[in-house]
Amino acid sequence: MPVSVLVLFCSDQAVSGCYKSAVQVRVHFYSYFKDLAGLAEVTESVAPGSRLEDFLQKLFLRFPKLAAMKKSALVAVGIDYQAGDYVLAEGDEVSLFPPVQGG
Amino acid sequence: MRRELTISDQRIDEQALGKGRAMSAGMGAAVYFVGVVRATEEGRPIAALEYEAFQPMAEHQFHLLFDQAETRWPLESVRLVHRLGRVAAGETALWMEVVAPHREEAFAACQFIVSEMKRVVPIWKKAFPLA
Repeated sequence: MPVSVLVLFCSDQAVSGCYKSAVQVRVHFYSYFKDLAGLAEVTESVAPGSRLEDFLQKLFLRFPKLAAMKKSALVAVGIDYQAGDYVLAEGDEVSLFPPVQGG
Repeated sequence: MRRELTISDQRIDEQALGKGRAMSAGMGAAVYFVGVVRATEEGRPIAALEYEAFQPMAEHQFHLLFDQAETRWPLESVRLVHRLGRVAAGETALWMEVVAPHREEAFAACQFIVSEMKRVVPIWKKAFPLA
């Protein structure tokens, strides 16, 4: 007999029925990405186990002006660059920025 | 390897940096590079560039580059200063120096660090056109 399973994600651990808390991720934009996003930082909730590339897709939907830059965008978690298969954890800070231009 | 890194909105004092050079007896080469703000950007005259950094990551990425340079060449020291904020045309935005036993490794390490900086260190610039 088929069994349906409903999994709930929530941001408040005190809420009963939650499978596991959503992961809160702070996002920072630098350089002209701030202008494209219209803000310097934002906090997003993602399901536990979410990969960075999936999170970025979600972010590009929310900030369509940034989506045009996704091929050249550089992405860091904390102070290190990370690939798309990086699994986000609670408290991670993601930074999104255009190619660098120091010197 | 001795390393000094400064990322700051203070003007770069090249004379003081030159006087601060330290080389032990086995060192025969000091190569330094000065990056100066050009008076044109993409063919248009500008008054200044404004540099912005994600500073904790910039410092970390510079140190990763220094680590790589240290494994590739027998360097005694690396000193690097990068300016932030508004830097007028003609002013120095980047100063760096590498000290090594011979010129080949000093030139190579200097070139490596500057080139890689332009690929991985999160610093950006914005041009201010002439009024």
